Amino acid sequence: MSTLDVGTYSPREKGVAGLLGALAALLLLAVITGVLAPAYLLYLVGLSAMYMLLSMGLNVQWGYGGMINFSVAAFFGLGAYGTALLTASGSPISGGVSPVIALFGGLGLAAVLAVIIGYPTLKLRDDYLAIASLGLAEVVRIFILNESQWTAGSAGLTGIPLFFSDWPVLGDLTYPYIFYVGGTPLFNMSQSVVTSALNVVLVTVIVAAVYLFLRRIHQSPWGRVLRTIRTDEDLAETLGKDTFAFKMQAFVIGSLIMALAGVFYSHLVLFVSPSDLQPITTFYVWVAVILGGTGSDRGAMLGGFTIVAIQQGTRFMTDTGALPIGAAPLRLMLVGLLIIFIVRLRPEGILPPERELIWPDSLGGGRDE
Amino acid sequence: MAQILQYLANGLVFSSIIILGSIGLSLVYSIADFANFAHGDTMTLGAYGAFVAFGVFGGLGGTILGLPIGFFLSLAVGMAIAAVVAVLTHIFVYKPLDTDSIGLLITSIGVAFVYRAVLQGTFGTDFLQYDIRRSGPIPVLLDTLDVAVTQRDVAIIVSAAVLVAALHLLLQRTTLGRKMRATADNPDLARVSGIRTDRVILVMWVVGSALAAAGGVFLALYSQLDPRIGFEILLVVFAAVILGGIGSVYGAMLGGLLIGMLHELTPLLSDIGLPIGTAYAPAVAFVIMVAVLLVRPRGIAGDMT
Repeated sequence: MSTLDVGTYSPREKGVAGLLGALAALLLLAVITGVLAPAYLLYLVGLSAMYMLLSMGLNVQWGYGGMINFSVAAFFGLGAYGTALLTASGSPISGGVSPVIALFGGLGLAAVLAVIIGYPTLKLRDDYLAIASLGLAEVVRIFILNESQWTAGSAGLTGIPLFFSDWPVLGDLTYPYIFYVGGTPLFNMSQSVVTSALNVVLVTVIVAAVYLFLRRIHQSPWGRVLRTIRTDEDLAETLGKDTFAFKMQAFVIGSLIMALAGVFYSHLVLFVSPSDLQPITTFYVWVAVILGGTGSDRGAMLGGFTIVAIQQGTRFMTDTGALPIGAAPLRLMLVGLLIIFIVRLRPEGILPPERELIWPDSLGGGRDE
Repeated sequence: MAQILQYLANGLVFSSIIILGSIGLSLVYSIADFANFAHGDTMTLGAYGAFVAFGVFGGLGGTILGLPIGFFLSLAVGMAIAAVVAVLTHIFVYKPLDTDSIGLLITSIGVAFVYRAVLQGTFGTDFLQYDIRRSGPIPVLLDTLDVAVTQRDVAIIVSAAVLVAALHLLLQRTTLGRKMRATADNPDLARVSGIRTDRVILVMWVVGSALAAAGGVFLALYSQLDPRIGFEILLVVFAAVILGGIGSVYGAMLGGLLIGMLHELTPLLSDIGLPIGTAYAPAVAFVIMVAVLLVRPRGIAGDMT
């Protein structure tokens, strides 16, 4: 009982929180001492939040519903390409559409693909779904790579605007932007810092909204049925649930969240190319989910940080020349070893779902007694 | 017509490679009971093993079917390396796991990445070639049938046929083969009948990985060698296994033949006016795979062992 009381945290949770706090302090110190550019730190925050979103999307499919989706990269890529094709100046199709509208283009593409992939595969055995979804994700990548009359092919899409580029105030800031308090100039911020900060604000809003939404549906009767399906699909079927419909809904919701991450990525990095759809992207997200704890949204957040730490850490280590191995194989190696060791040593992940599954009202006694 | 014959000839070469890959994948699927995503990278591993060995043995004189004797020696070395690595992986990674087939599947992806990371870190990502001079098409076939087939293509087909025949004899004519078939069919029953299934599983890893390595070597010989070749072909191999029926070695052979042929027949689609280029050859294989999964999940030979 005591481990589930609201307000008390297990030693592991305290440990994770402490570690993240220490890491944040270290990064802040690096910024203050000038080792790390503030804009770059903000960029990294945005990137980890994007991986969080991807992990939360996969969590709906794998964590809640037990569906092995190996086409994360495809949904992410469709979100990214959907918005890029509509907004980018380098787009072979249209370009120039407002990002706020293009957002729905990316989401729409992903939803259509989710139904196309999901309809034939969600009826299959779990391991068949894994194989089929990886295959179909490759089809999407091959398509984007080869149909250059629509997608610009291997060159990728450039000239993607910032998400806020056509907003009334945020789009017209002049740089360096000087922040006044009572008529006296206080900060003098460069363009890169302001845009990065805006991106962080944007992604924070998205992550918070998605988190609250997922928390709500996870605890709803719908989420309960989905968890039953994950544990024993035949049982759910026996109880009269249309398991295919539930799985399809979860698959589409998860895919939309991944596409949302892709849309954000486009407007963060301002460049997309078919290499963003490589299978490694899918497996980064898998590592994030199984490391954090399958079915746990807080775990997904921890996983998101870890992935960015791997990507940036390997870059930093190879930049300093301390290692005899390139960054790409080092990342592959780390991702591979992480997968092997998590399944071996801690299959439930670092922050497995505990209180996520319980209504706050039913905890802590008091009111019910 | 000559064009179709040409596609079929190419298909036969590609099928040989896919068959070698799919046998091992099917064996693991039936005996160890999981979809082994590291199988493609085992193929790559064998190809690099042979590449290194070829640097040593390449100079050995004499040729068979236009390929130096040293190449076949290197092929054997590559197969041995892949078998040893697969057995070690089984002992140190898969066996201690207390998990279900999905956990094993996810672990195998980790294993695949580690294999590829080691190869990529050691050899880089540049394309490599076995240092064997390419020869032109065999004149007789070119003159009579108007089909361009090189000696190298014939060597790949013949070598694959020899390996497959050897496997057939092993499975059908030896006690070990009977034990393997019994274990694949029903591991529990095999164990209570006194078969040491642990050992059979080790043999299965050896056989499956060695054949995969041979497939990898021929794939590298047919096109080129880089750290991604195995993973890129893995999905086509999966398509072959699923088409043939998971767990059936002979089904995997048949599935490999069909998928390999269809893969190389893809240009026909653009010949008849469909805008589907050869880049979509793997896509065609996946679509067939998904169709098979929907219509006949047991595959075309799912009941035979």
